[in-house]
Amino acid sequence: MEKDNANPTILNTSQLPTRKGKRGRKVQRGAASRIADVMRKPQHLSDPFYDISWSDDTESDDEFTAEPIDEQEVYDLISSISDPEHPLSLGQLAVVNLPDIDITPSPSVAADPNALTRVLVKITPTITHCSLATVIGLGVRVRLEQALPPNYRVDVMIKEGSHSQDDQVNKQLADKERVAAALENDTLKGVLDKMLETCL
Amino acid sequence: MSPPAESVKLEPLPPFKPDLYQRAWQSIPHPTLPLLATVHQKSVTVFSLSTLSAHSSLTNGHERSVRSTSWKPNLGPHQLCLVTGSFDSTAGLWRWKDDDDDGGAEVEITADDGSDGDGGPKEKDWELMVVLDGHDSEIKSVAFSPTGQYLATCSRDKSVWVWEDVGESEAEDEWETVAVLNEHDGDVKAVAWCPETNRSGRGRYGSDVLASCSYDNTARVWREDGDGEWICVAVLEGHEGTVWGLQWEPKPKGTKFPRLMSWGADCTVRVWTLKEEEDEDEEMAAPQQQHAWGGGGGGLGGIPNTMRRSLKEEWECTAILPQVHTRDIYAASWSPATGMVASSGSDGVVAVYREEDEEEEAGTNGTTHATDDEAAMELDGDVPMTNGGQAEKPQARGSRKWKVVSTTPNAHGPYEVNHVTWCRRYDQGCPPEKRGVEEMLVTTGDDGIVRPWQVVVS
Repeated sequence: MEKDNANPTILNTSQLPTRKGKRGRKVQRGAASRIADVMRKPQHLSDPFYDISWSDDTESDDEFTAEPIDEQEVYDLISSISDPEHPLSLGQLAVVNLPDIDITPSPSVAADPNALTRVLVKITPTITHCSLATVIGLGVRVRLEQALPPNYRVDVMIKEGSHSQDDQVNKQLADKERVAAALENDTLKGVLDKMLETCL
Repeated sequence: MSPPAESVKLEPLPPFKPDLYQRAWQSIPHPTLPLLATVHQKSVTVFSLSTLSAHSSLTNGHERSVRSTSWKPNLGPHQLCLVTGSFDSTAGLWRWKDDDDDGGAEVEITADDGSDGDGGPKEKDWELMVVLDGHDSEIKSVAFSPTGQYLATCSRDKSVWVWEDVGESEAEDEWETVAVLNEHDGDVKAVAWCPETNRSGRGRYGSDVLASCSYDNTARVWREDGDGEWICVAVLEGHEGTVWGLQWEPKPKGTKFPRLMSWGADCTVRVWTLKEEEDEDEEMAAPQQQHAWGGGGGGLGGIPNTMRRSLKEEWECTAILPQVHTRDIYAASWSPATGMVASSGSDGVVAVYREEDEEEEAGTNGTTHATDDEAAMELDGDVPMTNGGQAEKPQARGSRKWKVVSTTPNAHGPYEVNHVTWCRRYDQGCPPEKRGVEEMLVTTGDDGIVRPWQVVVS
């Protein structure tokens, strides 16, 4: 199959953003260490009003204490998604970038498990005519909807100016009914499953 | 200062049993019987409104999710018929089969003593009679016309299909495609038939009127021209995002033609009004006649050349309801009993609105601007006007008449609400003399909960 972009820019995994103040271990950040990161006990439990407001199957560690989900955690959830046409992750291809993830209201104030929290992720397809932009966006949306608690509303958009059909792709990605129907399309579901295989 | 608007409180009643656990898309009350059909996954669960528990279910008819359903109206006693529209691109026509024909169905359907709470006798079940094939991709919505003669379906393939019941008798399920309407530029999200009230006698058209709405941000009104051709008579432009749904005014005032309500991704609920014939002569001469058609841009490209001027109708947006929602509005419902409107969607809020009577506006001649007091009320109120004064546009001058009387956040906890509908109460919690009369709201969510709400007016 001919690739839309045969020579994408690739970031070295050690260049990818990680949580600051990590213990000294230098590991190649494979999927396993990223999970450990996500599930890591917070070292800065400074918010006394913070209590466990949700649970998730993946968070089975009984020592787990809820901490606000921050941009880094969202990044960790999606940067490990595989690109549909390269054997590389969306983080390595800089399709997803930490500064392009926005959580509203900001993580520290979320306390009510019913209060809506909006996660906006702007993705940067590798080239401007990337026909797979929609599929990548769908992968990001699906990944986050599966991993985040139900009070999170995930909005995935194409970063302004990085893609020639921004509005069209954004509208599709925002359409709950289309997303639901896409997940029942076996071909598309196969592609998505493959992309998400490298997460967890 | 006007007196404070009558307030309404929604009190949650116990949810229907069983919990469906997975996303449910919508719950449609039967037009006359105490039944509610909820679509979820590849099936439909029919709940009894008397027992608030499952009555029966429609399964094994679709390969993908069922998105929408509609009850066939005007059937004889003991007969039930549902149509289902599925992401598998087919529509299914189902009948409740009563093999022993002892009149038991009637007893079961209307029983309110809870004795049939376990699913009913085994010999009765839903049977898939006909599969309506033709759409190229997911069916998003299905609707029977008020007489049941026509069925409309719409799809991601951008088309609306009209099917006609050509069976010799009710028992013979034979449906024929009478129209394929291809004018929308995007997925057609919903179809709705105009109720029979006040709609007849409009020129040379047949009496059935259909409306559709789309991912292309428009709604369209369709009529049969008397020669079997279905014509788009109006394009309703104004929404700034996907139009998720629409409903006709169930009980229009006086002799007025029913208005149309639409809602969508732009977080607005809009009310559209037909400019009626009595002032048509005057309008024909005026250049404004072209207004609705000339200024719109892209959405008008689909009007065919064959469309004669005389077939056009002028619909204008006469109200934008006060903005409550912060994300897509997936559903709204206009009560036939009280005229109140309820809306809900992605933000999980259920809002209820009331339209003030015409009389209160009589002195203003319907065209004047809001008084300072009223404007101040709107600005001070808890209704955010976040869209840069959209409601001030002249075509939405009826907006001021609509007041928010209730907002209920987190109707389904943290989950999105996919559907809301007014529905008559038949449950034990309702005093017997009010059963079948008093209205409640029913919301359907991503959590698989179908929740009734008592509407307390104070």
